[in-house]
Amino acid sequence: MADKKVLFKIKRQASPSAEPVWEEFELNWHPGMNVISSLMEIAANPQTKDGKTTAPVTYDSNCLEEVCGSCAMLINGRARMACSALIDKLEQPIRIEPLSKFPVVRDLAVDRSVLFENLKAVKAWVPVDGTYDLGSGPRQSMQNQEMTYPLSRCISCCCCMEVCPQFNEDTGFVGAAAISQVRLFNAHPTGAALKQDRLAALMGDGGIQECGYAQNCVEICPKDIPLTQSISQVAGDVMKQAITDLFRK
Amino acid sequence: MAATASSPAVPQAKAGVAPLRAGQGHSFLLRRLHSLTGIIPVGAFLFEHILVSNATAISGPAAYAHQVRFLASLPLVPVLELFGVWLPILFHAIVGFYIWYRGDANLVAYPWAGNWMYTLQRWTGGIAFVYILWHTYTMRFTGIDLHEHPGASFGKVQNEVVAPLLLAFYAVGLIAASWHFAYGIWLFCAKWGITPGEKAQKRLLVACLGFFLVLSGVGLASLTSFRSHPQQPTDPAGARIVEMGPGATE
Ligand code: HEM
Ligand code: SF4
Ligand code: SF4
Ligand code: FES
Repeated sequence: MADKKVLFKIKRQASPSAEPVWEEFELNWHPGMNVISSLMEIAANPQTKDGKTTAPVTYDSNCLEEVCGSCAMLINGRARMACSALIDKLEQPIRIEPLSKFPVVRDLAVDRSVLFENLKAVKAWVPVDGTYDLGSGPRQSMQNQEMTYPLSRCISCCCCMEVCPQFNEDTGFVGAAAISQVRLFNAHPTGAALKQDRLAALMGDGGIQECGYAQNCVEICPKDIPLTQSISQVAGDVMKQAITDLFRK
Repeated sequence: MAATASSPAVPQAKAGVAPLRAGQGHSFLLRRLHSLTGIIPVGAFLFEHILVSNATAISGPAAYAHQVRFLASLPLVPVLELFGVWLPILFHAIVGFYIWYRGDANLVAYPWAGNWMYTLQRWTGGIAFVYILWHTYTMRFTGIDLHEHPGASFGKVQNEVVAPLLLAFYAVGLIAASWHFAYGIWLFCAKWGITPGEKAQKRLLVACLGFFLVLSGVGLASLTSFRSHPQQPTDPAGARIVEMGPGATE
């Protein structure tokens, strides 16, 4: 077994404006390898398959257990978390590319700040900051906790946006993750104070209306968040808000 | 050279997808109107056209002629046609092509059921559009005027579908429009928050599939009845005889 090899084809890009190039790497197989552990091995000995010395591959990762959301990349053409992508379950050669809808910083590291901007735009927080202690918050029912807990598992990996046919530079669509966070924070007893602001934000250009309900987001989400359910639910709330505004504003 | 805090800022390249423009623009209204026109009036018209009017063809030329005469007798037919059918379809179609153009289908990378439906919704819309243009042009704007001579309707459609290629075109157009409308009902309910739940969405999907089978089934049955009857007249005199019903002589 000692000579079993694993072959990688990695799309490299030296700078945000550089032309991408492909490089091949070969590693010795050993049990339990995943894509991040392989990138670490390549970093330890940055040589291409033909023995050429190259720069170590740049990538984002942190937790190595699919909870931080930083290591999303395209593996064999599909968006997924590299740290949970086991080599034994992948077809070889393993093609690794940066996410395609986010600006490349370098190699596999991309700039996903658009999600942060979107979370700010929809006020995805519970408004408790102030100059004095507000005391303890209202109790949440068990039912509400059970509904919101899955939504709270979002790791901001942006996979749902990468695979969404509507998320692109033409639409500037906000994407499933931020919409699902609107559902989460609107369901929070204190967070609900900002419900109208959030729903109004989602009516703006690039808002919830851009969703074509292709349901790729819910298929890809590594945390199994019921995204299409969130989109439908929030879309109903947005519609009610729009009609209310029509008569009350 | 190692990256340090003093190294120059990352140079600007591709800007990427813009963040949400909260509170700006009118695309919400546009998209919701597009969605609504798909159901009312365009979908409602398709329902009437296939399940009520065209279905009378199954009962033969006289019944068909009576239905066409009834439609032609409605008040303000040109206004109904323009504002109830043509302009809404045109609006839905133009916005539909615009939505199609702005989306990036990615079926090859992600060949999942919902994604198939997303792509199919666009292609069936496009096919329906070509079909509707042809169908309206030939049936409404060329040849004998059916509002004047309802009795010529059956024969005119028969002439139209006598060529196998045109018959196939009619069948494809019918199936595409039926699918587009049936799955469109499902999409509408999902997008307007009427069926957010997983179970509700599954049940509605079954109902919409059933509706598709009924729509396309009745449509195809009407289509075959044009082929199974002997050729009916398409001239004003013959049309009068058809209107009077079977067995009648002038
Ligand atoms: C036979 C006439 C038509 C009927 C009854 C109809 C009906 C519908 C319905 C009910 C929907 C669902 C609403 C929604 O998804 O928001 C829909 C969606 C759609 N229709 Fe049509 N339609 C027709 C013709 C067309 C045409 C000619 C086009 C042109 C390409 C078109 C393009 C679309 C598109 C792209 C969508 C999806 C919108 C989205 O994903 O946001 N439709 N249609
Ligand atoms: S349902 Fe489809 S169009 Fe809507 S956010 Fe998810 S992937 Fe995008
Ligand atoms: S919703 Fe799922 S796919 Fe989207 S960012 Fe959150 S964890 Fe990732
Ligand atoms: S390294 Fe944290 S999710 Fe992969």
